Amino acid sequence: MNPLYQIFVDPFVQMAGAPDLFAQTIWEGFVGGMLYALIALGYVLIFKASGVFNFAQGIMMVFAALTLVGLHEMGVHAYIALLLTLGVMYLLAVGVERAVLRPLVNQPDIILFMATFGLTYLLIGAGELVFGGNPKTMIAKELGLPSGGIDFNILGGLVSLQRIDIAAAVIASILVAGLAAFFQYTRVGRALRAVADDHQAALSVGISLNEIWVVVWFAAGVVALATGVMWGARSNVSFALQIVALKALPVLILGGFTSVPGAIVGGLVVGIGEKLGEFYWGPLLGGGIESWLAYVIALAFLLFRPHGLFGEKIIERI
Amino acid sequence: MNIAASPHATGAQGAAHGGPLRDPLLAVESISLSFGGLKAVSEVSFDIRRGEIRAIIGPNGAGKTSMLNCINGFYHPQEGRITFKGVARRRMKPHEAASQGIARTFQNVALFKGMSTLDNIMTGRALKMRRGFLWQLLRHGPALAEEIEHRKFCEEIIDFLEIEHIRKTPVGKLPYGLQKRVELGRALAMEPDLLLLDEPMAGMNVEEKRDMSRFILDVNRHFGMTIALIEHDMGVVMDLSDRVVVLEYGRKIADGSPDEVKSNQRVIDAYLGVAR
Ligand SMILES: Nc1ncnc2c1ncn2[C@@H]1O[C@H](COP(=O)(O)OP(=O)(O)O)[C@@H](O)[C@H]1O
Ligand SMILES: [Mg+2]
Repeated sequence: MNPLYQIFVDPFVQMAGAPDLFAQTIWEGFVGGMLYALIALGYVLIFKASGVFNFAQGIMMVFAALTLVGLHEMGVHAYIALLLTLGVMYLLAVGVERAVLRPLVNQPDIILFMATFGLTYLLIGAGELVFGGNPKTMIAKELGLPSGGIDFNILGGLVSLQRIDIAAAVIASILVAGLAAFFQYTRVGRALRAVADDHQAALSVGISLNEIWVVVWFAAGVVALATGVMWGARSNVSFALQIVALKALPVLILGGFTSVPGAIVGGLVVGIGEKLGEFYWGPLLGGGIESWLAYVIALAFLLFRPHGLFGEKIIERI
Repeated sequence: MNIAASPHATGAQGAAHGGPLRDPLLAVESISLSFGGLKAVSEVSFDIRRGEIRAIIGPNGAGKTSMLNCINGFYHPQEGRITFKGVARRRMKPHEAASQGIARTFQNVALFKGMSTLDNIMTGRALKMRRGFLWQLLRHGPALAEEIEHRKFCEEIIDFLEIEHIRKTPVGKLPYGLQKRVELGRALAMEPDLLLLDEPMAGMNVEEKRDMSRFILDVNRHFGMTIALIEHDMGVVMDLSDRVVVLEYGRKIADGSPDEVKSNQRVIDAYLGVAR
């Protein structure tokens, strides 16, 4: 068969021919996309507040999930464990502010970036030390998360939704909307946007960078916990999970490092694009394209929108 | 605007003209600041009395902005000391200066470009809003009440500055003159004891200058706010200020009433020296 036909026509014929499969694929992409969006949001918040790419975001996700499961294994009730884990993430935020950000303020961004590397290995070490290095099973049931699937007879076929995916999509949406509203309508949110916009002016009105940093790192920790639970429930909890966080990179390339809407839309574009590509175009290449397809999507977008989907034009002053 | 209701503001009035010399709001004593080999400020001393408008003038590069940066904690002078409200200090962080009652505007407008006029002015309330962020997370009860109360205050400032029509506009889209006005609003929202204005009328046309002069006078006369004003327009300086300090190459060359300064030979030379 003609390869051009296979690439440019056949996949769309398949989509139109089996709308149920198409809907199924879109749904799965949407769920993944919401989780990517959530992870990307963690990066965006920290980048806005301190201008640094937080390399440790992925490991924070694993660390949060490990802490949760580990506490439960020690006999703590699941909900108490959840609260305690939130507390641990808050202490982590305070610790990072005290031990990393405060001493390194006014250092070049690259120094801060390297510090997040250090934090990554610190968290790996701490996680292994306290909870051991073996993969664990997420306590999804104990947390009251649903399991099993629901089937819909629509579009001339069967569309099957996993209940855990529905829960993931709902929780991710609530968190994303909540964070967006928090940073839009509250004093701390305004302060964060102020710091991102003009550092000096923010200081001059008495905004305390230290407070903003704690809030932002805590928000990133909450995001890490939520994504850790969701992804953990889909596979299991191990350090390999941090790879998922790297999926946020193409999302950030797409959405821009400072844009909350960009993270949301970018996450969905990457999530859905990835699933569609894998399902309809993957077989042409013998499968396995999921690991790099997201980057191709992001780079293709960059050709047309060099500043990302929502990123403002940055003109360096010289 | 109920800035007048705050005790320090009303109590300060009357000290402006011929007030007591003993109790300046701010005293700067032989401040020196250098960047590498460059001396931006050399052994400058002056004071600002409660309730007055104190102009700081001088040719470009004289060290006026550096002086303000020392006062609000952006720069740390290598020598000298600054006494504010009777408390002497060597180093201070900008947000500490802000919490002690020093507000400022910037020579090159420094607004939060993506945010609306109202939100920009609301950031000026950052220090007055004290509900913890967990309350704000809920956006409920005390935090919401607090938010509403401060919004009302900011709306009054917006009325005062006659910028109602742009309250929802992202400030990045506003013309320069209006941006300067919003920046003044943000500083006023802090209800400061000392307001530092760095060339608030630079780049404005005659009409905008007249408006801005009126706002500055109103803030000073009606609300008793103490103001340090850097300005190049001599007409404006002579009209507005109670006393003038003149800098040249980082040194103080004159200090006195507008009339004294105007007839000072060194000042005349300094300005002729850079005459265009
Ligand atoms: N951050 C800085 N780094 C190096 N030099 C500076 C800095 N800020 C000001 N200067 C220098 O200090 C001198 C005084 O500048 P400035 O205070 O801005 O003057 P003015 O506001 O009176 O025009 C200038 O020579 C300027 O180049
Ligand atoms: Mg200047």
